[in-house]
Amino acid sequence: MTKKFSFTPYLFLAPALLVTAVFIIYPIISVIYYSFTDYDIMTPPVWVGLKNYIELATDSTFWLAMRNSLIYLIATPTLIVLSIITAILVNRKLPGITLFRALYYVPAVSGSIAIGITWRMIFDSNGIINGILMTLGILKEPFQWLAEPALTLPLLIMLTVWAGIGYYMMVFLAGLQNIPEELYDAARIDGCSEVQKHWHVSVPGLRPQIVFVAVISSLAALKVFDEVYVLTSRTGGIMDSGITIVFYLWRKGFQLSHAGYASAIAIALLAVTLIFSLVNIRLQEHRMEAD
Amino acid sequence: MELARSSRIPAVSARRRTDRLFKNAVFYLVLVVIAMGMVFPFLWIFLTSLKGPTDAIFSVPPQLIPYAPTLDNFKSVLDQLPIGNFFLNSIFVGAVTTLCNVTITALAAYPLAKMKFAGRETIFYLLLATLVVPAQLTYIPSFVLAVNFFHYYNTLAALIFPNLSTAFNVFLLRQAFRSVPNDLIDAARIDGANELRIWWDVLIPVIRPSLATAGIFTFVNMWNDFLWPSLMLHTRDRMTLPVGLAALQGMFSSDMRSIAAGVTMTVIPILIFFMVLQKYFVRGLTGAVKG
Repeated sequence: MTKKFSFTPYLFLAPALLVTAVFIIYPIISVIYYSFTDYDIMTPPVWVGLKNYIELATDSTFWLAMRNSLIYLIATPTLIVLSIITAILVNRKLPGITLFRALYYVPAVSGSIAIGITWRMIFDSNGIINGILMTLGILKEPFQWLAEPALTLPLLIMLTVWAGIGYYMMVFLAGLQNIPEELYDAARIDGCSEVQKHWHVSVPGLRPQIVFVAVISSLAALKVFDEVYVLTSRTGGIMDSGITIVFYLWRKGFQLSHAGYASAIAIALLAVTLIFSLVNIRLQEHRMEAD
Repeated sequence: MELARSSRIPAVSARRRTDRLFKNAVFYLVLVVIAMGMVFPFLWIFLTSLKGPTDAIFSVPPQLIPYAPTLDNFKSVLDQLPIGNFFLNSIFVGAVTTLCNVTITALAAYPLAKMKFAGRETIFYLLLATLVVPAQLTYIPSFVLAVNFFHYYNTLAALIFPNLSTAFNVFLLRQAFRSVPNDLIDAARIDGANELRIWWDVLIPVIRPSLATAGIFTFVNMWNDFLWPSLMLHTRDRMTLPVGLAALQGMFSSDMRSIAAGVTMTVIPILIFFMVLQKYFVRGLTGAVKG
C-alpha cells in the first residue's frame, strides 16, 4: 500500500516534541557546555576547558557523595524483599485486609518532605524513638541520632525504604493477583511448605514486577535529594555524612553559585545513570535469553 | 464403624478450626505490628500537634495523649504561613499540568501507536532515551531559561511548562492506543472522519482508564515535587505545599508542636485523595508494569 506524505502525525507529535526539545534536549546540550566553563548564572560563562573535571577528580566531597549515592542502592534489594513479603501477607481474602493495605500505603503518598520532617521529629533527641528506648531501658539518656555521622546515611536509607514499601507492595500485589491459583495448588500437591510455595511460585511469577521495581527504585536511589535536604536541615549532615550526588549538585550550583562546576557534577550523574541503565538492559536481555 | 467415622470428622475439623483461628490471630498480629510501624510516626505527629504548652513532648515513659488538647498550634502556623495558598497553588499546578500533559502526551502517543510515517522509530527512541535522563541534570540550564528567557521565575508557570510532556505518559498511552483494534479506526476513516476526530471521538473514550492512570501519576508527581519548585518559588504566597512545608520547618525549628500541626494539615488531604482514588492507583500500577 502506498500512502501519500502526510503532515498529520508530525502535527500530533509537535507539542510533545517541542516541550522535550526545550526542557530536556536543550538543557542537556547546555549543561555539557557549562561543564567546560566558569559560570555563576549571573555573568556569562567563561570557557575553562577541563578545569572543572580535573577539580572534580580530586574533590573528596564529590567522591564521598558518589560513594553515598552508590551505597544508597542497598535500598533497592531491601525494598524488593520487604515489599514482596508485605504483598504476600496482604494478598488474602480476610476481613479488614483492604484497611491494612491502605495503612501500609500511608507513607508512600505523604510526600518526601512531610515524611522527612516526620523522621526528623521522631529521631530528634526529644523525639519518640528516644522516649521508647529509654522507657524500655535500652538507653540511659537521650541519644543524638541526627548528630551521629555514622548514622546519617543508614537513617536516610531506612527512611527511603520505609516510605517506598507501600508503593512497591501495591506493584507486587497486582502481580501476585495475576498468578494462576493452579500453580499454588500444584506446589501444595508436590509437598511444598508455605515458604517454599512462595519461593517456587510467587517469586518467579513476579519477575516482570521485580525488574520494574529494580529499575525504578535504583534510578530513584541515585537521585535522592529531598530526604537529605530535610533530614539534615540543608547541611548534608555532620561532615557531609549524608551528602548525595544530587545534593552536592544543588549545593554547588544553587547555594554556592558554581554553576559550571555543578554542571560537571551533573554530567557525572548522567554517566552513572547511563551505566546503570545499560547494566539493567543487559541484565534483562540476559534473562530473556535464559527463557 | 459408621459411628466412629462420623464422630472423628467433627473432632478433626474442630481441631483444624482452632488451628486456623490461631493462625489467623498470629497473622493479624503481624499485620498490626507492620501497620504500627507505617502509621505510628504520623499518629505521634498528629497527637503532638494537639498538645498544649503544659503537655510534654518528651518524657519517660512517653506521653502520647494530650491532657490539654488545643488547636492553638494550627492557629499559630496558619497565622504565620498561608497554608491555604500553598494548597491552592499545589492544586492549581497539579490540575493544569495534569490536564495539559495528558492531552499533549495522548496526542503524541496516537501516531506512535497507529500511524506509519518517516522518522517514527527515531522519534520513539529519542523519547525513550529521555526516560533515563535525571530531571535534576536539566535544572541549571532550566533555571537560566526561567530567569533570562521565559521570565517566569517565582511564578507557578515555571512549574507547569517543563512538565507539559513526559516520556513515561507517552509510553503508557501509546500502549493503550495499541490495544485498540484497527477496525475501529478504519471504520471511522471510511465514514470520512479526520484523524483529530478519530482521536477525540473514537480513541479517547476507549482509553479512558489509561488516561486516568496517567493523570493520577502526573498529579501525584507534581503534588510531591520539591527540588525544582524550591528553586523557582521564593515568596510565601507563591509556594506549593512541599516548598511551604520545608519553609515551615525552618521557621519553627524548635517548636515541634507547630511543625507537627503543619505536617498534619498537609498530609491528611492527600490521604483522603488517595483513599478515594485507590482503585485507579492499583489499576495504574498493573498497567505500568505490563506496558
